[in-house]
Amino acid sequence: MITRLLVAIVMAGSLLGVTVSTQQPPPQQQEEFIPIDQLPPQDQLPAAPLLITAYSFVVLALFAYVLSVARRLSVVQRELDRLQSDTTRGRT
Amino acid sequence: MPKWFVPVAVVCGLMFAAAPLLIANAPYESTMGLVQKIFYVHLPSALIFLISAIVCGVASVRFLFGGNPRHDRLAWAAAELVVLFGIITLVTGPLWARKAWGVWWQWDVRLTASLMGWMVGVAYLLLRKYGGPGSDKLAAGLALFGMANVPFIYISVNYWRTIHPTTNVLPTLPVSMGLPVWFTFATFFLLFLLLLRMRVRLEEQRARLDALYLSADA
Amino acid sequence: MFARVVWLVLRKDLTVEVRSLEIAYTTLFFAVSCVLVFAFALVREGRAPEDGAAGILWIAIAFAGTLALGRAFERERQSETLRALLLAPAARPAIYVGKLLGIVSLLLACEVVLVPLVALLFQAPLFAQPVWLAIVLLAGTIGFAAVGTLFAAMLVRARTRDVLLPVLLYPITVPVIIAGVRATSTLLQPELDLAGIRFWLALLGCFDVVFVTLALWTFEPLMTD
Repeated sequence: MITRLLVAIVMAGSLLGVTVSTQQPPPQQQEEFIPIDQLPPQDQLPAAPLLITAYSFVVLALFAYVLSVARRLSVVQRELDRLQSDTTRGRT
Repeated sequence: MPKWFVPVAVVCGLMFAAAPLLIANAPYESTMGLVQKIFYVHLPSALIFLISAIVCGVASVRFLFGGNPRHDRLAWAAAELVVLFGIITLVTGPLWARKAWGVWWQWDVRLTASLMGWMVGVAYLLLRKYGGPGSDKLAAGLALFGMANVPFIYISVNYWRTIHPTTNVLPTLPVSMGLPVWFTFATFFLLFLLLLRMRVRLEEQRARLDALYLSADA
Repeated sequence: MFARVVWLVLRKDLTVEVRSLEIAYTTLFFAVSCVLVFAFALVREGRAPEDGAAGILWIAIAFAGTLALGRAFERERQSETLRALLLAPAARPAIYVGKLLGIVSLLLACEVVLVPLVALLFQAPLFAQPVWLAIVLLAGTIGFAAVGTLFAAMLVRARTRDVLLPVLLYPITVPVIIAGVRATSTLLQPELDLAGIRFWLALLGCFDVVFVTLALWTFEPLMTD
């Protein structure tokens, strides 16, 4: 489980890294109100990479967890079946 | 798996498919624009994070004072979901904050308390995994303290100065935004129930396995 | 009866400790080295950071406290005295309170040395409001020790207890540490901000009550096999 979580975190981290590398440095303090479309283009932070990263992270995290539980469940189920068949074989 | 599992899973899957349409059709918020759409996953996952912590705490109390292993299994499952939904909240939040507030993180009360609550969940899982025998009761004690943190997280934003939105925002949402967010919350909640049931089943099968091993040795 | 058990447990712990002073010396030395490490790490051009004193003091208390808790209960585990205590016909909450007071006294003794040291190394006017400082330190120490005593007692029989104690303890006690640091910083201001101090002390008191109540409630079921 911890492995799966770590994988998910690493993937999220790389997604974040991609996002961060496309950002510009934060804008300086401004003295007065400037409407956003009058700001120079390099001061406007693109929202789409952040949004995409957020939604992808949600989907990936949920998916990774479901896979993790399913995998652990199948391991235990296999072990149970094996043990049950062993005991029935042992009885006959 | 119980009878309700597959129908609920189907409904949940359909809701997940419908959610992006509702979110895309919701109006833009006036100051934050496109990035505000993260709200539609950030809020439901935060609420499920808190609900999970409460479920874990209540189940732990019942286990501590009743001793029924069923409650212990439920507590462990809920703790894993605390970690899962907590990390979703703690990642989607800063991604939104980077654009809306200009910073990735702020050490205000709600964020700090949420981070600590998440770490209690991680500590619970570490304790269950590495604590050895008797760690079920110890983890139950830990979960109780973690649950005491939850109301603090929720109301803290109303009493301390912070740039995080207060609890007043949610009841006063316009219907065009309220509908997608509550729809997504319902989707996440159904998913929460499904995940909880799956995870509890894992523990039940493990317990059955242990019982089989014990009876084989006897 | 309750008070008598508390006093007996406390007296036992203090007697054992005074005879060897093992935990007292090692914890104290560890706390001092902690403060020195911070001093070396944060000093720039021979001057320490101005607002660092409150945080460093409380970090040193937290680290030293964790060490002291681990050592105190390790000693109980080695002599199996914890089992003897639990077998005795004494109310479990009374045993908890006795151990809590023992840990608190140990930590307060460390703080008596730490506070002047931090004030000296970081040029912080910690003694400007000695009474308020004493109350803040007492409230914070009780909050930290309340959770710590419970968890350390719980972990006595666990396998990886040394690593797990900080892992379990710090997320829960972070609010106490934060409140303690903020209260101490407020005391370091040139003029006394009475409202601010009262607020942080009220918060600390609140945490203390909640943590001690929860600990008293859960000590019995947690210590039963």
